[in-house]
Amino acid sequence: MQKYILRIYNFLLATETFFLLFFLLTAVFLASIQIFLRNFFDTGIVWADSALRILVLWIGMIGAMFASRNKKHIRIDVLSHYLPVHLRNNIWRITELITAIVCGIVAYYSIKFIQYEYADGTIAFANVPVWLCETIIPIAFSIMSLRYFVYAFMPAYLLNPEPSDINPPSEFT
Amino acid sequence: MSINFLIPVVLILAFFGMPLFAVILSLALIGFYSSGIDLSVIAIEIFRLTNTPLLLALPLFTLAGYLLSHGNTSKRLVRLSRALLGWMPGELVVISLFACAFFTAFTGATGITIVAMGALLYPALTRDGYPKKFSLGLVTTSGSLGLLLPPSLPLIIYAVIVQQMDLEKSVTIKELFVAGIYPSLLMIFFIILWSAWTNRYTVKPKIPFDLREAYDALKEAIWGLPLPFIVLGGIYGGIFAVSEAAAITALYILFVQVFIHKETRLKDLPEIAKESMLVVGGILLILGVSLALTNYLIDAEIPSTLFKWVKQHIHSPLTFLLFLTIFLLILGAVLDIFSALVIMVPLIVPLAIGYGIDPIHLGIIFLANMQLGYFTPPVGMNLFIASFRFNRPITDIYKATIPFFFVLLTAVLIITYVPSLSLALIR
Repeated sequence: MQKYILRIYNFLLATETFFLLFFLLTAVFLASIQIFLRNFFDTGIVWADSALRILVLWIGMIGAMFASRNKKHIRIDVLSHYLPVHLRNNIWRITELITAIVCGIVAYYSIKFIQYEYADGTIAFANVPVWLCETIIPIAFSIMSLRYFVYAFMPAYLLNPEPSDINPPSEFT
Repeated sequence: MSINFLIPVVLILAFFGMPLFAVILSLALIGFYSSGIDLSVIAIEIFRLTNTPLLLALPLFTLAGYLLSHGNTSKRLVRLSRALLGWMPGELVVISLFACAFFTAFTGATGITIVAMGALLYPALTRDGYPKKFSLGLVTTSGSLGLLLPPSLPLIIYAVIVQQMDLEKSVTIKELFVAGIYPSLLMIFFIILWSAWTNRYTVKPKIPFDLREAYDALKEAIWGLPLPFIVLGGIYGGIFAVSEAAAITALYILFVQVFIHKETRLKDLPEIAKESMLVVGGILLILGVSLALTNYLIDAEIPSTLFKWVKQHIHSPLTFLLFLTIFLLILGAVLDIFSALVIMVPLIVPLAIGYGIDPIHLGIIFLANMQLGYFTPPVGMNLFIASFRFNRPITDIYKATIPFFFVLLTAVLIITYVPSLSLALIR
């Protein structure tokens, strides 16, 4: 059973990576083709610029999902170094739980937003409707919410995976 | 029910390590909820990221930078710069400063410089024998150098806003571009002085010029050399915009790294994409959610109320300039430069003119302070970007940048109190 869950989990992670790379390379080539067409043939793909701007959002949101996978989101975190380990871990559980809740709220309300947009039926570029472009927002926030929720209830020994994040390396002290 | 009591709780948790995007998001949610606004507005604000064509430059330049850092490009560049300039003391610091200033000048968004150039310069500096702390500080600080040089986007935006205000004295973009030159040079000069002083005991081997070595280094680095010309020639020759220059750069580096130097295998690409886009995602998410919070702050008239209060209490222009510096430093640390410009310029300019300050000089003061604000502890945006990019705890970045902060603060104070530095070439 555990084996299958792990296999599904790894498949999902690989899917995330695949889409990231796919969107990124699409952006590189689409923008390059656009320049090429304009300068040599005095033409261009009508929807390319809108598509590129949407691609940036998708790349960014998937990147944000990756950042939450590795707990790499930017933090101010100037005080937690001074706390004893068990207290710090408990405070981190609180911050991760609140982050999970906040992401959950955003995910919920962005689904509502997309429902309005779906009813509107505006087209973003080519034949792609705006609501479809926006779906990445609830997807990303749901997954981030899930990840931070897991962090909030993780066993203590898994909470500090990277000691370098907690103790400054020796050359700075 | 008022839920505003949650604001201090969130702020405290921010200092205990709550992710910054979640902090900003919580504040925005609390604000919108208290004002009875549908929370779907958050999704609308995040989607507004797609209104900015320039943002495309962020993932693409980052990808290019990570591809470069994955190979040996920085090694080749150092070898070449050493072969050509190694006889000169501190040559790499000078190269770093000018390269960063140059890069920031036409990307405008200063995070890109740290992310893309930092990947190149930090390993080169440490390999060249500069202490890690110094190198980290230099790269982080240089990330915002060049905001005052043409064709910097913030300068253009300042000009656009001021021109709409119907002032007695005209402000043209041409004048603003010229006004930033001396102040930028002053800042670069100050950092060079500080670097020379702080590294006076750093033993950097003197390399006598060797024609054979210069030729070999040039041959090795030949594929990297067209890069600045592709970018600059493209932009100034009117062939492409900055975001497109980023695409060409990424494509070119991808091609060179995979097919010519063969330092990147195609199967490494997913890992590089993951590593680099994680950084981009972190930054874009914060950008998106701060769009939402900024909008709420404007709705609640918080910035303008604050400023009315200041007007009542300050009388002398010199005091005004001092408080302006402090205020702008804080503003620059918490707000991104474009929101800060859009919110504050319409408020500050009439006030500053009331105190007898030239609007062009004010623009330079504004952006010079914003530049410092980028690495003002504890919340300057570039500190986080550097922490993120170099995978160091934020406190290390604080320690590394603090000396540079004071060096540049001195320069900014001179720029603030000596108007002729900005105006000499114009009026």
